[in-house]
Amino acid sequence: MLEQAWLIPVLPIAAFLLIMVCGRFEPLRSRFVASGGWLALIGVGASSVLSLLVAWEVFTGGHGPYEKTWTWFEGATFAFEGGIYLDGLSALLLVVVSIVSFLVVMFSMGYMADEGERRIRYYAEICLFVGVMHGLVIANSFLLLFIFWELVGLCSYLLIGFWYEKPSAASAAKKAFLVTRVGDVFLLFGLVILFNTFGTLRYSELFADPAVLAEHATELKWATLCLFGGAIGKSAQFPLHFWLPDAMEGPSTVSALIHAATMVKAGVFLVARAYPLIVHSPDTALYIAITGGFTAFIAASMALVMYDIKRVLAYSTISQLGYMFLALGAGAWAFAHAGGDAYAEAHGYTAGMFHLLNHAFFKALLFLGAGAIIHAVHTQDMREMGGLRKAMPLTSTTMGLAVLSIAGVPFFSGFWSKDEILATVRHNGEVEPIFALLWMMALATAAMTAFYMTRLWMMTFTGPPNEKAHEAPAVMTVPLCILGALAVISGFTIFLGEGFASYVHYGHHTLQNDWALLDHILTASGTHLSIAAALGGIALASLLYYRSPTQAERPERARFILDNQPTAWLHHFLTERLYISRFFDWFGLRCWDVGAAACNRFDLVVIDGAVNGIANGAIRSGERLRRLHTGFTGHYASYSLGGLGALVILLRVVLPLTGWSP
Amino acid sequence: MIPLMHYVLFSSALLLIGGYGVIRNRNAIVVLMSIEIMLTAATVNFVAFAEYWHDLTGQVFALFIIAIAAAEVAIGLAILLSLYKQRNTIELDMLDLLRW
Repeated sequence: MLEQAWLIPVLPIAAFLLIMVCGRFEPLRSRFVASGGWLALIGVGASSVLSLLVAWEVFTGGHGPYEKTWTWFEGATFAFEGGIYLDGLSALLLVVVSIVSFLVVMFSMGYMADEGERRIRYYAEICLFVGVMHGLVIANSFLLLFIFWELVGLCSYLLIGFWYEKPSAASAAKKAFLVTRVGDVFLLFGLVILFNTFGTLRYSELFADPAVLAEHATELKWATLCLFGGAIGKSAQFPLHFWLPDAMEGPSTVSALIHAATMVKAGVFLVARAYPLIVHSPDTALYIAITGGFTAFIAASMALVMYDIKRVLAYSTISQLGYMFLALGAGAWAFAHAGGDAYAEAHGYTAGMFHLLNHAFFKALLFLGAGAIIHAVHTQDMREMGGLRKAMPLTSTTMGLAVLSIAGVPFFSGFWSKDEILATVRHNGEVEPIFALLWMMALATAAMTAFYMTRLWMMTFTGPPNEKAHEAPAVMTVPLCILGALAVISGFTIFLGEGFASYVHYGHHTLQNDWALLDHILTASGTHLSIAAALGGIALASLLYYRSPTQAERPERARFILDNQPTAWLHHFLTERLYISRFFDWFGLRCWDVGAAACNRFDLVVIDGAVNGIANGAIRSGERLRRLHTGFTGHYASYSLGGLGALVILLRVVLPLTGWSP
Repeated sequence: MIPLMHYVLFSSALLLIGGYGVIRNRNAIVVLMSIEIMLTAATVNFVAFAEYWHDLTGQVFALFIIAIAAAEVAIGLAILLSLYKQRNTIELDMLDLLRW
């Protein structure tokens, strides 16, 4: 089965080509409008089944990474070898991407039903998006990964700008593309450094010898920092995080795909993939952890005050991605700190990947649920929602599960992974004070997460029943239910078989008894703290935002925030998104435009001046010289006679005097 | 025996007179005549040097020049005639279509 893994990205891309080519063909067009969704579903579904089979084989096989290469082209010193590389990490991503993308495509068939002929474009682009993400996951070298990385960026651009006639959507698409490109440039720099240092970009060759890697610590530091720069752009981490909330201009299904399976997970995947390099550079690991922790904190704080339901979810994604980076950074730092101990294990790696798995399901569920709500009430403003619980029982229940999960309520999936992350960071904090600070920030983030997710649910679903809204069709609610179930049970994969860590881990892995693990988790003081944070956040939000079915007016219990000067100021600060977007706008307008104006001046004065000067010189000399053409024959005759005389004088008088002889 | 230098000076004088005529005159017929004078200057040179070197080639050239001059005058007069028909003048300063 592993030999056929190359079909995983090929199938959706084939579906993309089929839909795109046949959909443009006029006689088939009308038929494809209706059946494009089915084609997409079949293409993505087939690749999903194949992914699950491959992942099953990788997880149960128990052997090392599987690699298969094909030589694409050969140069004098370098052969470009495309191929597939399968290990626990790529298998995990295959599971996540395949399940989420299949459900999203299924949901789209209901959600996009009103879009008419544009569905052809939508389904084609979705297929391409899923295909290239699969390709990114199973690529066998950083170079191939980079190619798919750029294609993922392209697809996100196309899909965010799906309603391109809306100026806000068009500009959001451009913003997403350009901001992530800033990161991509760093990624490319990182690859250049790696290739110059090691002469290869294939994982199996790069990661083969830790001793060689350890010799090039300085190069690795810069290379991994640059790689992380790419991840910052793609995964929307501070300071390149501001494109993601704007990317909400696309359809909700696209948001679900971007946030849960494709695009932003690519950045986390890149860092996890480059782990063998990062563990040789504790500085990079620390930087990753700090960026992740800080981003998680500020994004969660901004999510507290947003009223747009999708923006809340967008900031929540940024925050959760920050968690993953915090875990990955902490794990790599601990591993590097262990200094080549044979029994060292990067717990953070497992924790981060575990959170990636859980986050994919509950975040896809939240976005699809938000899509169903927007489909029903035709607004994204939570202040205009409310009372949807009766009208949309399935949506409200499944979203409730997702809220409990992301908030970290015990035994829901988010609880297990978030707790693992907090434990890892806290463990590092015993050695390095920065991690203690990061742990406190992460704990505060957990409380804020619980708060804003509960606020979202309370504002949307509680209150006097909304009579006009109605539940979405089955093609939309079935994916919601499946994701709802997954959001609850995916956390229990920590106990699956010999534990989640036995499938996805870095370094040495000690087998742990499930009961011992459960006992350890439930009795640790850190766990109690995180449970307290989650429940506290939920309780506070319920207190402030719950509305009984008879209560027509929105409760004003949160009014005190705006009435007091310091909290009002803080609220404004958060509503303005910490002025980061403003700052970049200002930066662009003031600083960048000064440079642009200087360039413009240079162009006008120097370049244009030179061109116009030459042209004017030619024109003026022409003006003067043409006066020689008097049109009078005598003048021409005298010129030629004068020329003859001048030649005679030159040859007979001047040149003999200078001593020159022909 | 007339020394060679006299012929040369004579032909130079003829050339300059012809050149002056070409440059100064406005009437195209007079210009044509001046060109004939310049050709004559060249012919005189040929004959003089043929005598000096005792070589008949120069005299043969002189005969050629006379024949070609006759043909040239015929063509030149034909051009002037058709010019006169078209423009009603053969004053050269009136024929300034190529003027700037």
